[in-house]
Amino acid sequence: MIAHPASRRRIAVLALAVVAYALAAWAVAPGFYDGIAPPQPYRWLSPPPQFRSANQLPLSGHATVRVAANGVVDPASVFTQDGQAAVSFVPGAFVTPADRSPVTIDIKPQTTSPNPGKVQLVTNVYCVTSSSTMAPGKDILVTLQFSTQIQAPSDVYEYQGDGPWQKLGSTGSAAPYYVAARATALGCFAAGSVASSGSSSAPQGAQGGGGNTLPIIVALAILVVVLAGIPLAVLRRRGSSEDAGDEETG
Amino acid sequence: MNRAFVLAPAPVRAVGLAAMAVALSWARVVALRTPEWQAVTLLAGGLALCLLGVGRSPAELGLARSRMPERLVGGLALAGVLLLPAAVRWSGGPVLAPEFAVAAVAVSVGEEIAFRGVVFAALEDAYGPAPAVLGSAAAWTVAHALSHPPAFLPAVAAAGLLLGAWRWAVRDLVGPIVGHVLADLAL
Repeated sequence: MIAHPASRRRIAVLALAVVAYALAAWAVAPGFYDGIAPPQPYRWLSPPPQFRSANQLPLSGHATVRVAANGVVDPASVFTQDGQAAVSFVPGAFVTPADRSPVTIDIKPQTTSPNPGKVQLVTNVYCVTSSSTMAPGKDILVTLQFSTQIQAPSDVYEYQGDGPWQKLGSTGSAAPYYVAARATALGCFAAGSVASSGSSSAPQGAQGGGGNTLPIIVALAILVVVLAGIPLAVLRRRGSSEDAGDEETG
Repeated sequence: MNRAFVLAPAPVRAVGLAAMAVALSWARVVALRTPEWQAVTLLAGGLALCLLGVGRSPAELGLARSRMPERLVGGLALAGVLLLPAAVRWSGGPVLAPEFAVAAVAVSVGEEIAFRGVVFAALEDAYGPAPAVLGSAAAWTVAHALSHPPAFLPAVAAAGLLLGAWRWAVRDLVGPIVGHVLADLAL
């Protein structure tokens, strides 16, 4: 299959395409992103003047997460109804209630919040509450959407109680117009950038998608290619004379 | 498809089909700006793209059933390549809701049948393989212009070139479909 010059040319073109893709995809995270549902116009709680006329109020989110048979609170992703804020967590992120009742989690846009100081917040503030405390050593992934009409924020910030705001950072990019960070405690969250640092280097926002499915899919794909590709290539080589006339090989 | 279009010269058909595929994609994106019925809109949009393939034989679209294991393995390899830049920078995140997962499959399959299947075949008939790879990737990139920020379009174009190159090199669309579906489900 590889010996034929035409096949070599095809493989060379494919290899070039792979390299070109890797370079282009690396320039912007996550790379190829097909964006199944494009972001809706951002719903501001306190809209900047230019967005005031068409603004709709942001929505809250609520979910009930059950306790599994092994006594651990299930993993889940909880979204606001408009998708602008989400928290996701692994099994056992929350302490199992004594009566093993389901854990309720709420995400609500917050009207008032402490002064963020030099940080310029560019999203609504969302407060996350739950009926059970977070388990020690566990964290949640907080994902916030931001408006397509503004400069991307660099980090997620959090405050608890009366403040102050604390920088959580950013996990890196996975989707346009989202930024995400891990938090070890529930509180109120918003995305922003330090005003004095300028915003030219602010990364694209990020949302993880797919939980742990992505690395699993990639690992499985690579494994299957390695395990199945070699014998298939051997079989193909053995049967190449039978296949010579098949139009599918081009 | 009306008789005049079917009987039109190959270049006219190719450009017309590319324009139709782009228009259907844009219509889906515009319709999605209404928050209600998003999953249904995605499903309908994917189905509409699939309908562009009506009248073409599976072999013309790269969907012949020969060497299916190799095609599927190729699809996994393409998925690995498409997802690798995201995987190495991965930090976890929310899962796609089930209704959107189904819709993602419909859109992925529809896009592959439309752009790497129908548009590719029409461009190849009219102009040859290189314009087919480049033209189908260009049309696919334009189709994403309404839903993606400009900074993301080079990666979309590069993915289109990769999937188109596979379509040309292996004469196969199953691989791009599998790769595209897995990539969309994961991200």
